[in-house]
Amino acid sequence: MPSADVVVVGAGLSGLTAALAVAETGARVQVVAKGHAGTHWGSGGLDVAGLPGTATPREGLASLAALPGHPYAHLAGDVAPALEWLRALLAAQGLAYQGDLDTPLQLVPTSIGGTRLAAILPAAQAPAARPWAAGERLVVCGIAGFKDFWPDAIAASLSRPRVWAETSGPERVDAVSVELPGLAARHNLSALELARRLDDPSWRAAAIDRIVSALEANAAKPGGARPGSGRLALPAILGLNDHAAAFDEFRRCLPMEPFEMPLVQPSVPGIRLYNALRAALIGAGGRVLIGEPVAQVDRTGDRVIAVAMEAAVRTATFRTGALILATGGIAGGGIVADNDGHLEEMVLGMPVEAPEFADWLAPDAFDPSGHPLEAAGIRTDADLRPVDRSGKPIFENVRVVGTMLAGQRYLRERCRDGVSIASGWRAAKTLTAVAVPLPVAAAASGSVRP
Amino acid sequence: MTIAELVREASLDQVGYSSDQCLKCNVCNTVCPVARVTDLFPGPKYVGPQAARFRMGRTQPVQLKDAPRLESPDVTVDYCSGCGWCTAACPAGVKIAEMNSQSRARLKAGHRPKLRDWGLGQTDLTGHMGVLFSPIGNWALHNRPVRRMMELTVGVHHKAPFPNFSRRTFQSAWKRRQKRRGLSRAPMPGPDKAVVYFHGCAVNYYEPHVANAAIAILERNGYQVIVPPQVCCGLPLISNGIYGEARDKANENIKILADYARKGYKIVGTSTSCTHTIKAEYREMLDLRDDDATVVAQATWDICEFLLYLHEQGKLDTSFGRLDEDLPYHAPCQLRSHGIGLPAMDLFALVPGLRARDMDHDCCGMAGTYGMKKEKYDIAMAVGAPLFEKVRASGATEAACDSETCRWQIEGASGVRTKHPVEILQAAYRAGDAARGGSSGVGGGSATGEDAARGGDSPEAHAAVRAGSGGSRARNR
Repeated sequence: MPSADVVVVGAGLSGLTAALAVAETGARVQVVAKGHAGTHWGSGGLDVAGLPGTATPREGLASLAALPGHPYAHLAGDVAPALEWLRALLAAQGLAYQGDLDTPLQLVPTSIGGTRLAAILPAAQAPAARPWAAGERLVVCGIAGFKDFWPDAIAASLSRPRVWAETSGPERVDAVSVELPGLAARHNLSALELARRLDDPSWRAAAIDRIVSALEANAAKPGGARPGSGRLALPAILGLNDHAAAFDEFRRCLPMEPFEMPLVQPSVPGIRLYNALRAALIGAGGRVLIGEPVAQVDRTGDRVIAVAMEAAVRTATFRTGALILATGGIAGGGIVADNDGHLEEMVLGMPVEAPEFADWLAPDAFDPSGHPLEAAGIRTDADLRPVDRSGKPIFENVRVVGTMLAGQRYLRERCRDGVSIASGWRAAKTLTAVAVPLPVAAAASGSVRP
Repeated sequence: MTIAELVREASLDQVGYSSDQCLKCNVCNTVCPVARVTDLFPGPKYVGPQAARFRMGRTQPVQLKDAPRLESPDVTVDYCSGCGWCTAACPAGVKIAEMNSQSRARLKAGHRPKLRDWGLGQTDLTGHMGVLFSPIGNWALHNRPVRRMMELTVGVHHKAPFPNFSRRTFQSAWKRRQKRRGLSRAPMPGPDKAVVYFHGCAVNYYEPHVANAAIAILERNGYQVIVPPQVCCGLPLISNGIYGEARDKANENIKILADYARKGYKIVGTSTSCTHTIKAEYREMLDLRDDDATVVAQATWDICEFLLYLHEQGKLDTSFGRLDEDLPYHAPCQLRSHGIGLPAMDLFALVPGLRARDMDHDCCGMAGTYGMKKEKYDIAMAVGAPLFEKVRASGATEAACDSETCRWQIEGASGVRTKHPVEILQAAYRAGDAARGGSSGVGGGSATGEDAARGGDSPEAHAAVRAGSGGSRARNR
């Protein structure tokens, strides 16, 4: 069966980051995944830390790193170089990001009419994160017939000062809606379809014309925002494969500064991120196999030597020098809970660190401190090797990355992407340091069947 | 039973049941190559798990008395090409493509199939007729007025790519060879010294040179080749929704192959879609789950999967010579469904100088017989367009792909000669032999010997795939 220096299980942000960092060293890397991961559902932004009361991601990072048991306790120093490295790679694939650890966290308006804290965003979302000048207007522009983006509701909600907390939002929020060519009779319109249409330069030009007309009509209304100032919120559909050119054209041709608002899934900015990571990985000689779960992992002593995937019949076995586990925690299916409070790690059957079963349910379903189970995951040492309850490494050549890592409350702390990128990068570095030699058809001394 | 076992069982469960796992996350819609290019297909989520609850049949076991038997709620399921990307991408283990195939069959059950769909499914019949009357058949398949008539009457698009019919079937050429070599009645070597070859219709009627390359490579590596009588694997019938006849074909093959499989012979095929059908679709689509079907499925290997397996065992002759060329490679959807990675790319890596590059494109559009149909031809061409462009832009003189109709599609649309990976490997062996000045273990280029002499079916003599009206780039170049 085929062999690799490193097998990565999971094709989300952490898995692909780890695989890319491994591939850059010249090692052969094989990504295997049961299906597509969180990238297709996410906003495309890179949240490192977004704690209320902190001014920048760097501040949040420092306070999280001081928490005992938080992944950042091991990774704090890796975040900045990993982020810089990944941003350069993504830029080379035509996907530019703005902001870094010292960019002030800002409240960014969302497509359900709320706000969220963000600093590092795709270039097309970044204009939303600039502070609002006195008197500055926001216009929310929807597409007629597109059911995932309701401009009137968004504008009405964003007009409430409390959405903007203590900060000052736009002076006034208007809503406009445009009919785009050829969509009148459509029942189902997805963001992805619109994005693909906007890849086409002629359709794009026609769409821009109609948006310009709609903005002029809005300006003619009493008190309407004058073109030439203010910002324009559009659904995140500005091109898929030709996004950079599409966004550039919107910026040049529209009388207001446009930005994208990420939507419910399928998330176009998330798919752009996945596509860029995948293209970079395959360009670097990596392989991606998506479609089946892990069937079995063979080990000898404390080393994993082969990963067998479910296949049409038999299993497809990859002999490997190391394994990076990027299966996404509870949300990604890497950890599964049953009704009796038992948690199981699905690939290697490793012990899961989690709060007591009695503490799983908070009295308030929307408790601002988040769900206690967010913190569930695999405990590792500083090299990201999984450890048992006594702190002893379980596998010498396994690394755990991303939301599999115990101790993070990624919804509340907004640290998921930072942890994913830094851990993926560090996993690759520590494996290179171990200089994984390919085992010579070693006989397995045991196997783990998930 | 542990939770992990329960979850795994659920995710591997039968097709219909799996719609319960759907999260409505839309990931399948994001990867569908057909929905990417046409509004005629709303996407796998809508016609698959979302519509499944409205369908009568296996997914809905209770039929209320006197209630009308409902047709499928969404006829657009017929625009699913069956590529299987949705199933692969689904994070929840829903068998979406399989569900769509079954829905199509249910849609068509009780109706007489369109002559065209029936005809495209009858690869054995059209193949035999074509070979029997090959001069006329080849003229007709590449004659513009005839192809226009075919489009008008039966609905096969006039530009759909077809290769030439061989002058004789591979089966009969093989029998001749065995007779000539006095091997017809030779005792069969054991399963460590021989493999059973499943050639499929493409080799039997159109592309014997693929079989010749495969057989030469297998023999070079110490395996005698057994070619039992066999029929079409049934996939063209499955993808045209004609399950009844497909099951007949499947049962016939299983009956022949089960004995070999029980004795430990591996069944190796050069058509990655045939081998996937035997491995998985007999079970998942046609519901053939008895011991014979299982033992046959478990014995079946794609040729590149088998050669790579030999290599991993240290048993593959790797005396490949230098092939100094760029080689764009397309992994067919059916290969992806095998779940075995890209064995051809691993084998290409053993050839010095060969710069094989995975085009990393989802689907060429052809999807078996989908792209041959009048109403689907444009969709298929649009699905494959970025691939054709990449292949052309590579500047390479040849490309590689494991599945026959994909090869015809890529070659017809890009104008770049597209070969089976075993043809590339055969060339590499020859280059190695030539460099060493020895005689070639894959010598004559034709396991059946006579083909090259007859000027009919050797790779060199084999005309490039041409689109029917002569409008393809392949011909214009």
